[in-house]
Amino acid sequence: MSRVNAGRNILVVDDESESAILRAVRRRLEEEGWTTTVIEPESGHSLGEEFETATLWSIEQTLPDAVLLDVRFGENRDDQFRGLSILGEIVERWPKLPILMFTQYAQGPDRETAVRDSLKWDAPVDFIDKLASPDEVVLRLRRLIGTAPESIPIGNHILVDVSARLVYVGEGEDRDPALEIQGMKFEIFRELAVTWYRSPGELVAFARLERYSEGEDPRASLRVRIREIKDAIGKAMNTRFGPSELIINIRDQGYRLVPPKS
Amino acid sequence: MKKFVTPIKIIGGVIALVGVILLILAPFLGKNFFDLLWAVEPFTYLGGILLVVGLGVTAATYSGAERFIKNSDHGLNGQNGKHSWSETTLQYFQLFDHDLGRPLRRIIGKERELRAVMQANPGSSDAGVIELLDEIERQTPNFRLMMSNIQVLIQLESPESDDEVQPVEPNEVIRRIADRYTPVAAEAGKEITWWSEPSELGLVYANTNAIEHIVTNLVDNAVRYAGTHVEVKLTKNPTHFFVRVWDDGPGIGAQYVPHLFDRGWTPEVVRREEKSSSGLGLFIARNLARQSGGDLTVESNDSPDSEHHTTFLLSLPSNLTAELNGGR
Repeated sequence: MSRVNAGRNILVVDDESESAILRAVRRRLEEEGWTTTVIEPESGHSLGEEFETATLWSIEQTLPDAVLLDVRFGENRDDQFRGLSILGEIVERWPKLPILMFTQYAQGPDRETAVRDSLKWDAPVDFIDKLASPDEVVLRLRRLIGTAPESIPIGNHILVDVSARLVYVGEGEDRDPALEIQGMKFEIFRELAVTWYRSPGELVAFARLERYSEGEDPRASLRVRIREIKDAIGKAMNTRFGPSELIINIRDQGYRLVPPKS
Repeated sequence: MKKFVTPIKIIGGVIALVGVILLILAPFLGKNFFDLLWAVEPFTYLGGILLVVGLGVTAATYSGAERFIKNSDHGLNGQNGKHSWSETTLQYFQLFDHDLGRPLRRIIGKERELRAVMQANPGSSDAGVIELLDEIERQTPNFRLMMSNIQVLIQLESPESDDEVQPVEPNEVIRRIADRYTPVAAEAGKEITWWSEPSELGLVYANTNAIEHIVTNLVDNAVRYAGTHVEVKLTKNPTHFFVRVWDDGPGIGAQYVPHLFDRGWTPEVVRREEKSSSGLGLFIARNLARQSGGDLTVESNDSPDSEHHTTFLLSLPSNLTAELNGGR
């Protein structure tokens, strides 16, 4: 797996960070190329207060790309919603820092209070419950952080290098650029890849892709370019992509990228 | 008893008010009828008595109600604060959810660790173990939705439930639901595609929890019954926004469509089989939609040819005019 988020750091603030479920999430984040820093306060004081102090100190020192923050710390009544007070402290000092809250309850009063507060602050805060799959956590973090990485791997055989404006096809070290995909064709493929990276099921509407087409019939021109992209990638992979593979047209609304099955 | 308190308070207040009015009008009433000062006094006495009685009734009702509420609040939760029935029920539910959630997180955490170990050592896994891991992972979304359904049901059936509207971006809500169900669908060899028309639908004013909860139930349902594809489409008109959830599943027979939104109804009920879900999802979804001023309808085709499908259409008011005018 390519380290698409190399150098990016996620701060994990959870009193159950060593639990199996959190370890699975951290493992998936690391597969994604993120490094994770876990807050481990010294024992001896009130659990929640210690986490609060250690979290703020850690952000001050390292300024992570995002924070994964639990709502509840321990069973102490005072710490039941300690995460919300830590959230408030973070948002007040670093209002642009993305925070993904790990909640016990997907819905309910704690979430509603926090959502209302985050709306008031206009901060990048989102909520997810602890039974969410690690893939879901990754997708939420990708969107919260906002910026797409410099290179986006699509399955095991395609890599979109956004900065070099090239699409590489092949596995591992044997990747070669598909030189036919340049200019407008690269822009179309990049648009599809970025949308897929941030929201895998989302369709890219014709209107957004027709910007990269020209002529009297931009829809027809777009269709031709899509076919050329599929042919170019298919040729490099010694295959031919059918209508329901790689880039699919959905009900004449737009296109969507589907990573080839390896 | 609580339902009698408010009317008694109102009656007390009205008596006291009549008393005050009589006191004010006594000089005029007395003069008009008898034209003598002594005639004013009966009205003054009557007004004074009514004022005292009215204030007495109100005060007695207040202290009685306080005592009643205090007595009823010494519940199992050990708190003396003023909690309504629904708040107390929610607290119990959250305790239950927390206590059930912890062991479940442990099981799922171990399952994910074991899966990671098996992926690192392919070929060494027993088919039965893989089946067990898949089953645990498959049941997790069901559990999440079930807990969430019960919580919403408590709120929905609460006499104090509010439907507070906030600015919401429907695209973002659908994106979150797609995040949750895309891996679930992929696991079952199905695909979810979603889009909005126009592609940036913008903000609406609605109850975020309600939209998320309704559409989650619809998508969960669609993924469960779809053949290979689920589509979610967002559209709007000047007053409403619409979420259409389509699946290419076998469709629902016309005779069952009227029962789809009944509490506890599932297709297994007809077949006298074990229910695969609680049958609460669509019941809650329609109730939430209607409570929010919208509706949820269904259209289905169960023909044996390739045209079979089911489409749910959720319509909700976008409340844009009300918000612009400063109302709710």
